[in-house]
Order: sequence, then C-alpha cells, then structure tokens
Amino acid sequence: MSIRPGITSVLAALAASLLLLFLLAPIGELIIEGAVPGIRQLATDAELRAALTLTGLTATIATLLGVATGTPLAYLLARHNFRGRGLLSAVLDLPLVIPHPVAGIALLLVFGRQSAVGGVLLSVGLRVVGTPIGIVCAMLFVSVPLYVSGAREAFARVDPRFESVARTLGDGAWSVFRRITVPLAGRGILAAAVVMWARAVSEFGAIVILTYNPKTVGVLSYDRFTTYGLREAIPVAAVLVLIALLPLALLRTLRGDRVTNVGGKR
Amino acid sequence: MIDARRLSSRLGTFRLDAVSFTVPTGSYGVVIGPAGSGKTTLLETIAGVIPASGGELRLGDRVATRLPPEARRVGLVYQHGYLFPHLSVSDNVAYGATDQGSVDEVVHRFALHELLGRDVVSLSGGERQLVAIARALAMRPQVLLLDEPFSALDPRRRTVTRREVRAIHREWGLTVLQVTHDFTEAGLLGDVAILLDRGQVLQFGPPEDVFRKPASPYIAEFLGAENVLAGVARVLADTAPDWMDGASAALSEGHHAIEFTSGALRLYTVGAPPSAGTCYAVIRAEEVVLARQPHASSARNLFRGRVSEVVTLGAYSRVTLDVEGVPLVAALTARSVHELALVEGVEAFATFKAMAVHLC
Repeated sequence: MSIRPGITSVLAALAASLLLLFLLAPIGELIIEGAVPGIRQLATDAELRAALTLTGLTATIATLLGVATGTPLAYLLARHNFRGRGLLSAVLDLPLVIPHPVAGIALLLVFGRQSAVGGVLLSVGLRVVGTPIGIVCAMLFVSVPLYVSGAREAFARVDPRFESVARTLGDGAWSVFRRITVPLAGRGILAAAVVMWARAVSEFGAIVILTYNPKTVGVLSYDRFTTYGLREAIPVAAVLVLIALLPLALLRTLRGDRVTNVGGKR
Repeated sequence: MIDARRLSSRLGTFRLDAVSFTVPTGSYGVVIGPAGSGKTTLLETIAGVIPASGGELRLGDRVATRLPPEARRVGLVYQHGYLFPHLSVSDNVAYGATDQGSVDEVVHRFALHELLGRDVVSLSGGERQLVAIARALAMRPQVLLLDEPFSALDPRRRTVTRREVRAIHREWGLTVLQVTHDFTEAGLLGDVAILLDRGQVLQFGPPEDVFRKPASPYIAEFLGAENVLAGVARVLADTAPDWMDGASAALSEGHHAIEFTSGALRLYTVGAPPSAGTCYAVIRAEEVVLARQPHASSARNLFRGRVSEVVTLGAYSRVTLDVEGVPLVAALTARSVHELALVEGVEAFATFKAMAVHLC
C-alpha cells in the first residue's frame, strides 16, 4: 500500500508546524512579556547594563581568539588529508557533546588555583577563576568547535583550482591564502564567527562553574530567577534573547551568498 | 622545453604513471586521450600544483621537479577558466602580470577592451576562457599549459583565438602544451602529439606519425581510424626487388615488401617486418579511393565489393564496402558519392596504396 503524495505533504507540513510552534512559543512568550520591560530596565538597572557589557566584551574576545587560533586549523582540516585527521575532528567536536557544567568542571581542573597551569598563571598575575578571563575561557571552550566547523566548510567550498591558478601566477602559499582563499571563503568564515559569538553570548553552564561573579547576562537571569523568582528574571532573559537575534539576522544576510565555484558554467 | 622523464604523480586513487615525452623549446605540443586518461593531472603536475611523486621534469634548462608552482614560470589555463570571482576582469588579467605593458598587449591581442569593466560572474563561458588565456599570458610564462582552452568559444572566435595563441607562441618562442579532444585541432596546432591513456603515455611524436602510424590497434581506433584489420603478415622477400627471384640487394629497416592477410582480404604493404603472430593493419578511410570500374593505377591494393552502407554528414560521406565479408570504409565527398551513384547494394572497387597501410 502506498501513501499518496498529498497525504505525505499534509503530514510533513503538520509535523513542521508543530516543531516551529514548539520552538517559537516559549521565545515569543518571553519577548512579548519581557522585551519592553527589559529595555526599560536597561536605563535603570546598572547591574543589567554591566552584565550586558561584560557578556558582549567577553564573547567578542573569545570569538577573536577563536578566529585567530581556529582558522589555520579549519584550513588544515579542509585542505589536507593526514593521519589522525578523523581523531582531530572528533576532539574538536567533544565540547559540543559534553554537558556544559562538565566542561566548566574540566576547565576548573586545568585553570583552578590548585592546578599546575592555574598556579603558573597566578604567578604572573593572571587569575582565571572568578574573573572575566574565566568567562572568556568558558565561552571559547564551548563555542570554538562551531567556528572551526563552519570555517572548515567555508574553505572546503572554495575550489582548490582557484588557488592552483594563483600559485602559477606567481603567488606563494601565504599570498594565495590572503588574496584568494580568505576573500572567497570570507562570508562563510564571518558567518561561522557570528555563530560562535552568538553561542558564546548564550553560554551559562560552563561560565557559572568558572566565574559566577562578575555576572554575564545568562548568569544574571539565573541569579534573578533563584533570588527573586520568575517575574524578575523575565526582563533580563528577554534582553538576552534580543541580543541573540541580532547575530541571527546578520547570519541570514551573510548566507545569501553561495558564490565560490565560478568556473565556466553559468 | 618540457622534458618529462618517468614523471609520476598521484591524485586520490589516480596515478600518472612514469610518463616520458619531450616538447622542444618553442614547440607546440598537444595532449590527446580519452576522458579520465589523466590529461589535466599531467598539466597540473607540470605546473607543480600536484607534486611529482617520482621521475624528473625539466622546464627549459632547469630541473623543475621539486620547484613550487610560483617558481616555474608556467601559465596554466583550465577549461573553465577559474577566474577569481571577487576581482574584476581587469584585475584578473593583471593578477600575475609582469608589467602594465604585458596587460595592455594581451588585452589588445584578444580584443578584451569591452570586457574589462565587466563583473566576472556576468561573463559567458567563452569570454571566461579568453580572459583566462590573457591572464596566463600577461605573466609572460616560459611554458603555457592549456586545458581545452577553446572549447566554449563559438567557431569564429575559436579560429581567431587559436590563430592568436599560435602567433604569440611563435613570436615569443613560447613552449605550449595543450589538451584537446579535437583531432583536427591537434593536427593543425601540434608539433608534437602525446597520446595519454590511464595515466600512461601510449605514443608521442609528430602528429602525422601518431595519426598515420598508431602504435597499437587501440590507438588507431581511438584516433578514429575506421579500418583496423586483425590478420597475419609475412615478408615477401628479404631482398629487393620482391617480385624477382634471386635478386640480391639487402634491405634496410622499414623497406620490406609485406603481404597481410585478414580473412579473404590480402593486402600489400611495405615497412618493417612485423612481429610474429597476429598483427593489425590500419588504413585511414581518407586513403581509400572508390570507383565503379576497376582501373589500372600505381596503387597496389584493389578490391571488388558491394556498398553496404552510405552515411552522409553535410559535404562528407562515409561509404562501407563489403569485400567478401570484410568491411572497408572510405571517406568521400558527398558529391563523389552522388556522381558515382554509390548506393547500398551496388558493386564498387576500392583502391589504396601500399604506403597507406600501416602495420602495428
């Protein structure tokens, strides 16, 4: 017995609608209830403003560090076949699959005062736990795999023959990377960075273990919820959602571009 | 000069396997071969974008086997152009140019003025090929590698561009190696033809030798020789002349009179003594002359048969004559077919010279 295409389409549309409703209902409710009070509260609530600034700043620093260290790795994974490539990819995906509080505990083991690395950093005046540096570490740890994965895809979409032609035209490997590869993969790399930034902004689990104070917006909303209840947490949470929407809009704009393989066919 | 000596490389599971050939300085080489034979891989290995895994490559007077692509002074033009889409046409042409004079010259020679202000993505396939050729030439390479560079051009533009590339090749003393599927183009352009299959060079040499004297029946069939007959050859006499008993002049290599038998067909040819056992006789269809009546001529091979098929493509006709069960194909003008009234079933006579038969 075969299902007619009409019924299949209706079932698919119904399933998709239910999923969209499931995703949109909580977020929509939060924005309806909390967006206006949240924006108003920004004018009067110094702690919220500080949390917002701290979140934006630490997420930006984490993203810049991710781009600086993750770009060569992404290029390596996209362009070269080498022994251990699969293992390296698995290691990079690890932060995505472990619970984030567990990631925070793992980071605490490495950067805590009792640890060797934490001790060395403390001796040069760098305290990780309980400082914005800890927030950056937590954000970097949980979100950089998304950047590497996105940048890797962006590099892979650039046909290597563009680079081959540029090499024959007199460019060395670095010059080709700068003049050809990065411009052609640019939008994909930027999109990956935006995703990383958005993920960093929304991080809570690892940050709360490493640095409860000073508070990021995520930690602040949790703090308000546990201290004052749901009503007080809603405006802060709504502000966080609005911040997350900005990079999402930027991402959609960037993804409009797909032009990398411009050979001869039109 | 491009001098490859047992040059090997690997791309995924494909292997370019110990290829050897020479394209002398200032010569025009053509690479021909079936799809997937490794033609593009060969060009990429010469350009250095695929590293050589063995053998030696000399470009000009330098050993280039381990040189990076940017140090080889080799221009590489892919079939699809691979123009940089984030740059304008003029920036593409100037990308590796030695100076503005070189850019101006190639723009002038390929009449690219109107394209300079255009966006790369708005160009047609043919326009992209032109810009890609100009871009490679603007860097004044010592070797130019072309991978089916004229395939997307319209017939008129193809002729003009081909002529221009050939002119630049002569004026600059440029060594060129071009991949083509077009045997006419290979014959027109090439000083050296290289036949590649499954990553190996099957034969290389002057195009007329490769086309007229293919080294194997496979090559003959690939190159479009319609008459490839399997049979047995025997040397008629080890001394000259072959028609007189007791003559004593010793023969030098390649001057033996040979009889070749394929089924009911008995051909006469001259050449080097073939190896023992089954060999193949190759006769190009263009060499076979058809007539309705037998006539005396210097051609040593004359056969009577019946026309079994006539295929006409414009002014060109391909007539198959059945000679006692063996098909013999002749290429004629459509006008000759009309004037001789060659239709299926009529009797006709095929003649060709002994020199037109190549044994392999």
